[in-house]
Amino acid sequence: MNCEYRQKISLYADDELSPAEYQQVSEHLRSCDDCSAALLELVEIKKYLRIAGNRFTAPPDLRAAVQKTLHTPEPRSVFWKWGLATAFALALVVTAFIFRAQPREDTLVAELVDQHITTLSSSNPVDVVSTERHVVKPWFAGKLPFTFNPPELTGTSYKMLGGKLIYAHQTPGAELLCQAGAHRVSIFIFQAAGKEDRRPKMGRNLSFTVSDWTEGGLKFYLVTDASADEASHLTSLFWDANKS
Amino acid sequence: MSSNKEFESLALPLLDPLYNFACWLSGDADEAKDLVQESFAKALKAFGSFRPGTNFRAWMFRILRNTFLTSRTGLERRNTSQEDEEGFEDAVVSAETPELALIRRADTELVRNAIAQLSPIFQEVVLLADIEEMKYQEVAEALGIPIGTVMSRLARGRKQIRAHIVATLRTTS
Repeated sequence: MNCEYRQKISLYADDELSPAEYQQVSEHLRSCDDCSAALLELVEIKKYLRIAGNRFTAPPDLRAAVQKTLHTPEPRSVFWKWGLATAFALALVVTAFIFRAQPREDTLVAELVDQHITTLSSSNPVDVVSTERHVVKPWFAGKLPFTFNPPELTGTSYKMLGGKLIYAHQTPGAELLCQAGAHRVSIFIFQAAGKEDRRPKMGRNLSFTVSDWTEGGLKFYLVTDASADEASHLTSLFWDANKS
Repeated sequence: MSSNKEFESLALPLLDPLYNFACWLSGDADEAKDLVQESFAKALKAFGSFRPGTNFRAWMFRILRNTFLTSRTGLERRNTSQEDEEGFEDAVVSAETPELALIRRADTELVRNAIAQLSPIFQEVVLLADIEEMKYQEVAEALGIPIGTVMSRLARGRKQIRAHIVATLRTTS
């Protein structure tokens, strides 16, 4: 069986396709017996797995023990006794924060570079497929606790390809995918920790060009294998579009 | 709502799914109980750092899995499982002709055996995606692996389950 749609059958059964792709595969299934049979088989296996896999139920003693853990009151602290300990702990937290702030940022950038590579290698790089910023932006409504403005790319050397929801460091964010000549660019957008704006800063990670900036309470990261000039131009288009 | 109450309202509905996952991972009811209890205690303690709006279920499953991986059984299983992984595409495209009639004869026990014989890295993805019905993104978060890896392990795990069912039914029929 070597149908080009074969790879999408699992994604179809797992409800992981965009509405447009879902429609496309649905139409294909009407005319391809092999894919229909493979889908039917996968759906049956998934059903059997769900039934057989839900095998164990928490016994009453475990439920009682967990509830006890949840209802154990926190010990009341005596202020004078804990004052010194609190001050010491605070000093530790401040020190830890100073030393950890940089590595945390570095691991986030590394995670986003990985995410960009995963997107490039995926057969479904984006969940909303559109070159129209007026289509891409509303797709995120209700999926993210913030909103942002994708720039108008018509008339520039860039093209919007679409976007998807991602999680990094257990935080939801948007990934927008753009085309820059033969290269692809991911722009990641999260809620910023602070309100202060910070101009774009360029860097490199695993030979990828990375720029990041904070604007209007949002944190932006741009990751690409295109040149720093390309990245810088696209960065400024996003910067201008999100000026408050 | 106090933070304990909020945690309780989010976490208690996950008790059965977490216990089920812990039983499959550890293969032992008593160990599963300890894992769940320890995970609830850890999660309650860390709940202050949990950010609203992020995926609570994936967070809880991640804590449970990390607790398991650092347990004695978890370390043993991790050290003994060194499977090679093939790509998502390979796993899917090389699927054989559908054998729906045969698969439909599988009973619950046979499917359970098929899940049990999976190696840990495939088993945990199948448990989360097919039994907990998590989306790929949620599985990726719970296991701390990229979505592409979730897809390839899921395809490979399902392929092994299918092969186990078909092979067992063929030899008994």
